[in-house]
Amino acid sequence: MATVQVSEAEKVYILHGIRDDLRVDGRGCEDYRHMEIETDVVSNTDGSAKVTLGDTAVLVGVKADIGKPRPKVPNEGYVEFFVDCSANATPEFEGRGGEELGTELSNTLYKVFNNKHSVDLKSLCISAGEHCWVLYVDVLLLQCDGNLYDAISVAIKAALFNTKIPRVHISADEEGGKEIELSDDPYDCVRLNVENVPCIVTLCKVGHRHVVDATLQEKACSVASLIISVTHKGTITCTRKVGGGSLDPESIFEMTEAGKRVGKALHAPLMKLLQQEESLGKARQKVGFLG
Amino acid sequence: MAAGFKIAEPLEYHRSFLKENCRPDGRELSEFRTTTLNIGSISTADGSALVKVGNTTVMCGIKVELTNPLVEAPGKGFIVPNVDLPPLCSSRFRPGPPGEQAQAASQFIADVIESSEVIQTEDLCIERGKLCWVLYCDMMCVDYDGNVLDACIIALLAALKNTKLPEVTINKDTGAPEVNLEKRKGLNIRKHPVGASFCVFDDSILIVDPTAEEEGLSTSHLTVVTDEKERLCVVHKPGGTPLSAEKLQECIGRATARQREIQKLVDKVIHSVKTAQ
Amino acid sequence: MPDCFPHAVTFPFLCTTMPTDTKRVRGPEVSQSPTLFLCKHVAVLPSHGRRADGRQRDQVDVRPVFVRCGLVSQAKGSAYIEAGNTKLMCCVYGPREMERKDETDMKCGKLTTDMRFAPFSCLERGSWIQGSQDKDLSLMLHESLQPAVCLHKYPRSQIEVNVMVLENSGSVLAHAVTCASLALADAGIEMYDLVLGCSIRQNGASYVVDPSYMEENSCSSVSSENQGGLTVAFLPSLNQISGLQSDGEMNEETLTAGVRTCIEGCYKLYPVIQQALTKAVRRAAPPPSES
Repeated sequence: MATVQVSEAEKVYILHGIRDDLRVDGRGCEDYRHMEIETDVVSNTDGSAKVTLGDTAVLVGVKADIGKPRPKVPNEGYVEFFVDCSANATPEFEGRGGEELGTELSNTLYKVFNNKHSVDLKSLCISAGEHCWVLYVDVLLLQCDGNLYDAISVAIKAALFNTKIPRVHISADEEGGKEIELSDDPYDCVRLNVENVPCIVTLCKVGHRHVVDATLQEKACSVASLIISVTHKGTITCTRKVGGGSLDPESIFEMTEAGKRVGKALHAPLMKLLQQEESLGKARQKVGFLG
Repeated sequence: MAAGFKIAEPLEYHRSFLKENCRPDGRELSEFRTTTLNIGSISTADGSALVKVGNTTVMCGIKVELTNPLVEAPGKGFIVPNVDLPPLCSSRFRPGPPGEQAQAASQFIADVIESSEVIQTEDLCIERGKLCWVLYCDMMCVDYDGNVLDACIIALLAALKNTKLPEVTINKDTGAPEVNLEKRKGLNIRKHPVGASFCVFDDSILIVDPTAEEEGLSTSHLTVVTDEKERLCVVHKPGGTPLSAEKLQECIGRATARQREIQKLVDKVIHSVKTAQ
Repeated sequence: MPDCFPHAVTFPFLCTTMPTDTKRVRGPEVSQSPTLFLCKHVAVLPSHGRRADGRQRDQVDVRPVFVRCGLVSQAKGSAYIEAGNTKLMCCVYGPREMERKDETDMKCGKLTTDMRFAPFSCLERGSWIQGSQDKDLSLMLHESLQPAVCLHKYPRSQIEVNVMVLENSGSVLAHAVTCASLALADAGIEMYDLVLGCSIRQNGASYVVDPSYMEENSCSSVSSENQGGLTVAFLPSLNQISGLQSDGEMNEETLTAGVRTCIEGCYKLYPVIQQALTKAVRRAAPPPSES
């Protein structure tokens, strides 16, 4: 990940600020930076979204493809995640540099979605044991300024909300074989229910307190963070400790509680925003990447 | 003092022992290290064995899978042997794809299987041209202290003897195979190949069952594989200094004796496992 | 895709063509585990009452472990652990010079972890190539161990931890953590504390500690809420959590209770591990005799 050099004096300054619930950029400990969301930004995907959080920017594209269900669960489709750390984001990702972080992020995403409710996999099934929809979720990191997990999860939720899967009809031919027909009408499509898609909250332990949405400078002052993915109901689908330090059990409990509270509160405004944007329809002014 | 000598002048250190017809670990020149065998300890494998030759430890696990036979050999199954020398077993191996030594060892084991006819691949056919077994034999070295080839062959032989194939019937209506894991039957082991490895010191002194250190200091390596009928299966001598015909004859003689010892050991262990059940 | 099993049997998954591997003896293009063609279905695990292996449900009933240090002659330190049928071993090499000179850190050493499964270790044969799951486990292992190792004592050097799973019968990560910390101690690497691992599987209102492979992978339909797995790495004498990972769906109370249960499980392991370590130390440096 992008590294910044923070001197001892700066560290003390940041630490003391956080102790008094006042961060360098004026936020409180549980406040996010300014977030911008735009959906439907890449026309050749079935759903896409771009999220900027402070200076962190991620782009998520969802592509729906017809595939074969997994042998163990013949009546379900599945979701694949891939995170690409482009060298645009930070020079450290050049060559194979971003690969490790990419696998770490995508492996965590698999865990976050490894439950029955996040995405209704049964609705992705076309015909049991033969065909199903496979959702390829591709994440592209455009700029890294800390807190990648949270930005990615919000972008995934927005992109899944935006995803339109073409409606298919199954017809049987004379020999008893099945044929899949895609609907001709491009507006005849299925939408996904994203209500239960979790959002990730990363809590950074700085000193004796923990902060949400840490900047790179704050991250440099912390030894360990806790990633918690929370649904709108407050159910926790994944937790993970990252970083080279260890945490007190009591502070883990505190952080879980805070993460649940913050994560739960994230969903309602996000959904409202997405619906608002959707309702604008074609009249919506597109901002794009340079806006 | 001795320790310093060993590190500074390893070759001289070994020579001083060899002059007295013995080796640093107290063995005679033609003495193998203690060989122990444990079979069937991995329940996820269809057959398994753990062999220790001195410190060198090799674990062989066999997994069976179903596949289609090749068009050019419709009545034959497959045996796929692979030797893995993971970074865990010694600091000389790096993570990543198999190195030169592991590749050579895998090929050597494949040669042993083929030329010794330990199993006939025809026995692995279930239905001609349609269905057959493939035996994946993975030999994993977990402690590398020389002579890994001998240990691999013993581990493979013992694991094959421990392997039980599940019963397969082909459903007449659907043509699909049906597997019953409870009913299993052993493989037909036709030959018992056993290897003996040698090292040549200073172009003339022959020692058996070299340790990793001895392997590194010697000028030539030789592995002889024989079966219970005292027939030669494979003679493997990858380069190094030449070896006289008499010396080779001596090696073959030692190898046949080793074969008898090891076959006795394998039979004893298999018998003890059977009676324990 | 080659025509597999011409007689109406088709492989239930896509036969992806792998790049040709010239470094191994290769078998047929595709082959399948016989477990996919079972004529009888495997018995479903009981979801209440005693567990399949006779252990208690909803109690900290860990499998008895067998541990031994210093089995591998070539390694600086090594350990072997056996819990039920789960068998794994760990070797530690180093501290030695950094392999990649450009990463040399003058202040602090580097810990590298590599965890892999033997091809015969799982119910279905694994591939020779390290998959993303193994990489994820290596990373988790790294994060769990790093807080315990005094890396500042080993500047400019690296310490390698290699774990090989010989048989996977559940709770692999938890036991790998325990085994690796034991091997590090056996190698004489300075540490703040041992690291112990424990995992649980939550299934509705009840849970199982140190789950077996079958228990880990059974998805019972009894309850949809509160299902998931949790692994904790714990430093017992410092009372710190160095690794935490959960997936599935759990509410906050269940997660918190789960973490507490795991800590309790770690304390149950503690005396066994300590004993193995003292035994190894005694053997390495026998106490001066009376005479």
